[in-house]
Amino acid sequence: MKEIKLKDLDQNCYTQTLKNGLNIILIPYTDKKNYFITYATRYGSDINAFVPVGGKKGITVPNGIAHFLEHKMFEQEDGVDPFSFFAESGTGANASTSNTSTQYICYGTKEFDKNLEYLLKYVNEPYFTDENVEKEKGIIKEEIKMYNDIPESVLENKLKENLYHIDPHRIDIAGSCSDIDKITKEDLYTCYNTFYNPKNMFIIIAGNFDKEQAIKIIKNSLDTKENRIDRITIKEYKEPKSIYKKEEEISTNIKVPKIALGYKFAKEDLKINDELELDLYLSILSTILFGSASLFRENVRKKNLMTNFYFEWDNIQKYKSLLIYSETENPEILIEEVQKELDHIEIDEKDFERIKKVWIANEVKMIDYVETTVNNIYDDMIRYHKVIDNKVDLIRKLDIKKLRDLISRMKFNNRAKVILLPKKIIAKKK
Amino acid sequence: MEYIKKDLGSYKLHMIKTKKFKTIRVKVSFRRPIVKNEITMRNILSDMLVQTTNKYKTKRDLAIKAQDLYAASISSGNTRIGNYINTDIILAVLNDKYTEDGNFSNAIDFLHEVIYDPNIENEGFSEEQLNIIKTRTKTSLESLKEDSSFYSLIRLLEIMDKDSPMSYRMVGYQEDLDQINSKNLYQYYLDILKKDLMEIFIIGDIDFTETEELIRSKFAVKTFKKSRKKYYLDEVKPRKRKQVVIESDANSQSKLAIGARLTGLTMYERNYPLTLYNIILGGGEDSKLFRNVREKKSLCYYINSVPQKLDNILIIRAGIDKKNIKKTVSLIDKEINLIKKGKITEDDLNMAKEFFVTAMDSLLESQLSILDHYYMMEVLNTDDIGTRLRKMNEVKLSEVVKVAKKIKIDTVYCLEGVNNERD
Repeated sequence: MKEIKLKDLDQNCYTQTLKNGLNIILIPYTDKKNYFITYATRYGSDINAFVPVGGKKGITVPNGIAHFLEHKMFEQEDGVDPFSFFAESGTGANASTSNTSTQYICYGTKEFDKNLEYLLKYVNEPYFTDENVEKEKGIIKEEIKMYNDIPESVLENKLKENLYHIDPHRIDIAGSCSDIDKITKEDLYTCYNTFYNPKNMFIIIAGNFDKEQAIKIIKNSLDTKENRIDRITIKEYKEPKSIYKKEEEISTNIKVPKIALGYKFAKEDLKINDELELDLYLSILSTILFGSASLFRENVRKKNLMTNFYFEWDNIQKYKSLLIYSETENPEILIEEVQKELDHIEIDEKDFERIKKVWIANEVKMIDYVETTVNNIYDDMIRYHKVIDNKVDLIRKLDIKKLRDLISRMKFNNRAKVILLPKKIIAKKK
Repeated sequence: MEYIKKDLGSYKLHMIKTKKFKTIRVKVSFRRPIVKNEITMRNILSDMLVQTTNKYKTKRDLAIKAQDLYAASISSGNTRIGNYINTDIILAVLNDKYTEDGNFSNAIDFLHEVIYDPNIENEGFSEEQLNIIKTRTKTSLESLKEDSSFYSLIRLLEIMDKDSPMSYRMVGYQEDLDQINSKNLYQYYLDILKKDLMEIFIIGDIDFTETEELIRSKFAVKTFKKSRKKYYLDEVKPRKRKQVVIESDANSQSKLAIGARLTGLTMYERNYPLTLYNIILGGGEDSKLFRNVREKKSLCYYINSVPQKLDNILIIRAGIDKKNIKKTVSLIDKEINLIKKGKITEDDLNMAKEFFVTAMDSLLESQLSILDHYYMMEVLNTDDIGTRLRKMNEVKLSEVVKVAKKIKIDTVYCLEGVNNERD
């Protein structure tokens, strides 16, 4: 076991890699009653074409399959529902699928050993039948419909669809109802056998537990598990630099218009090779420009231009995209303001230093909660393939000159724009 | 964890010392009996307070101040506690150990400014700021239907009993919003300071004596307040025959919301067997409803139940396809009746107890939940955590069944989706 000090955070972390390639990350706390465990695979909805285990030729699978597989993992041959198993000790369980990963979690305060062992067991034992695959389709379609009713979710999906030409990132994680109909038991096994291998997976545990005991349980369950594929060949999409569809307006069942803007940047043009460093600079840039203490926000607030505002960075292999969402009565005026801000960026050193201070404080705050700690390390494992033990220091060392250089390389003209507008027709009354 | 309560005359100071968190949270609460047409005013007010102050005239200035205090945050919100409306203003700030000496004390000054030195001009709140907040509130009221799940809950409660506080829209009302101006808002603000019951809670790695002194000196409030109105809503008998109301909207999913009345529950039953009943029915991770309506019949993605014990009701919600409304309702009926008939096992009961114990243990890992717990002890006289665990553990199966017999469905509401599927 390797000890890693999470610098400036008063917390230690331990890592170990099993012979079969499985990564284990443990963060034991001394003052907590609860624990949080995640068992994850680097397999999400962005992967839809690959060379399956034992195969030589690439195949394409239906959209939404990573998410479908996640749902189906809860089906066990012995008929015991994992939710019921965890519930016996009052332990919570769940799973989620993102664009790049799938995770199975459990969290509670009791029966750590038993629950950890069971989590590993049920994720390692898929049981798909034609019948249980059919049955799941009803549940997943209701989930898709639930999200289709949320305007923000429609907006986000549409923006990604229009930003990218061919990358599967443009497709909603859950797929569409017609994608779901195509999924078979065989597809699920193919994806499972390819991506649920130790080398492609990792475990993170934080909270109240004994680290030696945890390692022992994990080794017992997984030490002999064979890694059936060493390097998975995933289709690389040659996503063009241009925007797939620059403008779209959709009328839907809302009262106040909503806008989404996406700015697409090829990483090679940004010229900061370290992924983490690039992310930190991009993120401090957007926070200074659009965060709660920004001049932009004060300006549009005074003009009463918008009622909410949200931004984030979107990642695919060779691109970074700045996504901006807002609700506004004046879509075109607000969009103009955003564009003006981005076309004339000025960074004040005071703002830059203050945001660094805020970020450092936030790192300290987050370590207070086992769930956020696991989530942070999880994100780092997915994005950077390692535990980042010196984040506070990296933030401290951010350099305004380097940020200004980066800005000089960024052109904010490669943009997708989506506007949701209120529908004029009112739904029929019964 | 140590807890001390001090009666400082105008308010009670509750201090909880724990080494578990690097953050200190301070919550100032104001409450009074709820009046329907004050809700919107109160929402605007609590929003206004955390946007600007006399010293920090723009939202940006205020945000920068908070950031300078090592990413301190101040937030506000209103909730209903039975017959009362409650406003919380919450400060979260890192312990001085992780920032610098005096940072906490400065943050308390900041919190005090937010509450007691707002952005006032000519006996009224800043017109400019008020317009911004009113516009935003207007938009969110107009967009209420966009959250169809939430909207279906509001409609259910209104259809059950439109005059009861339980159906008051905590998001506020358009017609009340139109009446608000900077002057009457300021008068309402002064009225709150004068008449509302007040508490201050502090949780973190604090020194009791120092903290008490700090709060005493900064929050030198001198008004004497009292209220006799009870917190629990009066019981209402359920309809003899349940009413079914279906409304439609352009959604793809239908939102089902069912309201049941609880009658004749003792305080003990409300706090203990009812909690377990709900975990078994639809509150737990592996409830009867989840297992039998979702997993076995694939009728929905989400389904759950929640008791509102101060209102004497229990609510069940699910997102379903409109062709399955009848089928889902009859399955829910069936599950409710099975428990009434005593068709639950010791295993079900034990699982629910385990669930509760974990929930209690987890509560201790969140500052906000700990504060909530002590607040409820203060206003509702609920038991402390140790007592709650002990009494819950002693609940018998027959007591849960007895509670089940006091629960009756009153109204079935469905917001039917009439949007054709996209594919």
